[in-house]
Amino acid sequence: MVGSPVLLIAIPLLAAFLIPLIGMIWKESVRLIPGLVLAFMLVSSASMLLYVTNNSTIIETIAGWQAPWGINLVFSPLTGFLATLMIFLGFIVWLFSYRFKRNVDFEPAKKYFIFLMMLVAGAVGIVITGDIFNQFVFIEITSISAYALTAFYTGRNSAEASFKYLLMGSLSSSALLIAIAIIYSQLGTLNMADIADKMYLMPTGYKITALIFFFMGIGIEAEIFPLNGWAPDAYTEAPGPIGAAFAGIVVKAGVYAMIRLVFTLFDIPNSMQFLVVIGLVTLIVAETSAIKQDKLKRMLAYSSIGQMGLVFVAFGIGTAEGVFAALFLMLNHAIIKPLLFLSGSYLVFNSKEKKISEVNGLGKHMPITSLLFALGAFAIVGLPPFSGFWSKLSVLTAAANEGMILIIALVLIVSVVEIVYYFRVVNRIYFFEKSDNVVVQKPRINAMIAMLILGSIILVIGFDPDIVSIYLHKASHDLMNTREYIDNVLSIGQSLTK
Amino acid sequence: MNNELYEILRYGILGGSILLILIGLYAALTKRSLIKIIIGLSIVDGGIHLLLIGIGYVKNGTAPIFSPGFENSTANMVDPVPQALVLTAIVIGFAVTAVALSLVIRLYRHHNTLEIDEIKNLKW
Amino acid sequence: MKKLIVILLLAVTGYFMVISFMDLGKDGPVVKNGVKDFYLDKTVSELKVANTITSIVVNFRGFDTLGEVTVLFLAATALGGILYKKRHHVGERSVLFPSSTIVKAGSKLLFPAIILLGVYVFVHGHLSPGGGFQGGTIIATGFLLMLLAYDNFSVSHKVLSYIESFAGIFFVLFGLSGMFMGKTFLENFMPVGNLNDLFSGGIIPIIYILVGFKVAAELTGLIYTVLNEKE
Repeated sequence: MVGSPVLLIAIPLLAAFLIPLIGMIWKESVRLIPGLVLAFMLVSSASMLLYVTNNSTIIETIAGWQAPWGINLVFSPLTGFLATLMIFLGFIVWLFSYRFKRNVDFEPAKKYFIFLMMLVAGAVGIVITGDIFNQFVFIEITSISAYALTAFYTGRNSAEASFKYLLMGSLSSSALLIAIAIIYSQLGTLNMADIADKMYLMPTGYKITALIFFFMGIGIEAEIFPLNGWAPDAYTEAPGPIGAAFAGIVVKAGVYAMIRLVFTLFDIPNSMQFLVVIGLVTLIVAETSAIKQDKLKRMLAYSSIGQMGLVFVAFGIGTAEGVFAALFLMLNHAIIKPLLFLSGSYLVFNSKEKKISEVNGLGKHMPITSLLFALGAFAIVGLPPFSGFWSKLSVLTAAANEGMILIIALVLIVSVVEIVYYFRVVNRIYFFEKSDNVVVQKPRINAMIAMLILGSIILVIGFDPDIVSIYLHKASHDLMNTREYIDNVLSIGQSLTK
Repeated sequence: MNNELYEILRYGILGGSILLILIGLYAALTKRSLIKIIIGLSIVDGGIHLLLIGIGYVKNGTAPIFSPGFENSTANMVDPVPQALVLTAIVIGFAVTAVALSLVIRLYRHHNTLEIDEIKNLKW
Repeated sequence: MKKLIVILLLAVTGYFMVISFMDLGKDGPVVKNGVKDFYLDKTVSELKVANTITSIVVNFRGFDTLGEVTVLFLAATALGGILYKKRHHVGERSVLFPSSTIVKAGSKLLFPAIILLGVYVFVHGHLSPGGGFQGGTIIATGFLLMLLAYDNFSVSHKVLSYIESFAGIFFVLFGLSGMFMGKTFLENFMPVGNLNDLFSGGIIPIIYILVGFKVAAELTGLIYTVLNEKE
């Protein structure tokens, strides 16, 4: 045993309760402890990921009751990969914002770091838990942290954005509870593997109803089309690094929850086509909205929604290749979009309106930040030799192997749209004249390190995609193989039953 | 308890919960005051909790408690799991409501109004 | 016009919900051997806890409760963060209204009884209906009564945050100590005693008492923060 998945949840919770106490004595600790906790989680999760890639899945029971009765945590290649990715991003966001809160009072800073840590812990919980009600609890932990972080700045319209997010989030958690009620009333169990095992017993009508309510409940976090009205406002009004955390952490957790439902829990054959349809609608609506935006973060937010649409399309192809492509896309999006948000938040640091036109000519004044933004922009539209190219290529090959010509055509058209609006910004950065009333803000050293780490990962994956593809192949195999998941979780239930 | 009474009770609980959900949704969708919207959301929550409790009900059920004076066969006990879930769901609903009300206080501080039509700096 | 559309929409939703939900749970679940029988059986035979709901909330699904306590903690923290102002006048109330002598005398009389009832409810959570959440809420209503009756009644924020933090820390530490004793997280590692004794059920009553303290402190803190919110 190389580590215990439960520590990934328990240690942040312990630290969250501890920080108010230590913060009374030593003020710097409120910034430091979350970073240490995230570093510990990163090391522990990465070592467990190495272990499960070569050996079997780690399944941890809680309170000593085995699979269908107690709550269990599943650290498989898929969930481990996503958890490690999220914790890594949480650490990057922490590093980025470690010092820039100096000008903020002590109390809000304390809360900022507690919420950042709990956002990561909640998202990790969503991914590694094996119980649908427990997942609901973690979704609520993540969303409450997200509401509070969105409303962090008092000067902006952040309370309004946060209230909007909360309204939709509250309705969606109600829908999630209804779905859980339907499942429990029919199958008498809440464990995911047990539900998947017994799903064939459930009447089809209830299945479809439950799946619809689940989609309404989780679609908020996953930003699928009709439910993503909160996203642009929340990304715009939240602090810059929090936009990165939303794009890299919260959305990934939501996508995982939906994918687990469609692939493992429900055996409705047409749900794959449904994924393709909502993915395409989300993709087209978001990308056409993005091109109309005049605020930088709003544009990035719509682009993020569009990328999630593409991820759903790739999942909806339904083959192992498609899943591989989707996971690769998620990985790339989780690296590139935070880089864009972080560097973008410095590009428009001192402006009130955060307009795209205010980045004019900053290429000469903040060379490294601009270069990193350009790198992110090139990578996300899929130019070779950056990492985004490989993921888009794998989506296209997966679609081509299944003969889905329409998808290929649409993805290519949308890529052109993406190129238009990203290059518009890059063009302004390098080839326009800087206006005099824009004040340049030099990034702090810790923020610079955080951005450079992300930028170098883009280059490394771009030049040698094979270093991640082994984990991705394992993860996609893990997702496709429902029977193995059920057996893994339930078999220890039979051998060790009390 | 005879069969008809049981049926009436069961339909009453489920129908009542659906009615509560619809009333809450109506309030949340049509009312223009932020406080009333939050009240609507709380009513939706209440309806769902009632639905969960209703699911666990069995005919001639007793409380799932083994205290002296409650000795019954386990076969007649109502399902304890939905009750535990409702306990969790109530606390979570309460927490979300508290956060929502604090956001309303801040919105009121900025705009001096609770009408949603007048708080439209962002697109709704 | 908008109302009409909403009513139509809700009517359709309602019809859909009625036809799909009315038979929910009619003959019990399709799967007869669900988890509930196991819980009812083990709660008496192994955990020696009389109240099955308590044993589910604290032991079988104890991880949910840990998450739930965290949600409450986060809500209290969020409330403080969202309503934060630079110059905070501690001790000044925004909601001030005179209360009559009857209310003042009556609430002073009722306050100890309410606290006692709350403590009773969460100490006996494993024996009778009730538990940490319910008891904590009752205690918080006692403080609410005092805050409404007396303009100058105040609770110390520092003490509340000590109680909150220590209760949460001990909850997690109890879970972890189960793990370090070679068992799993939150597993019962203490002797369970006899059914229906006050000292029975191992760590279950201890955790529920911690939850009771935490909920009481957090709800009181929430009420106090909002009451002291000043323009």
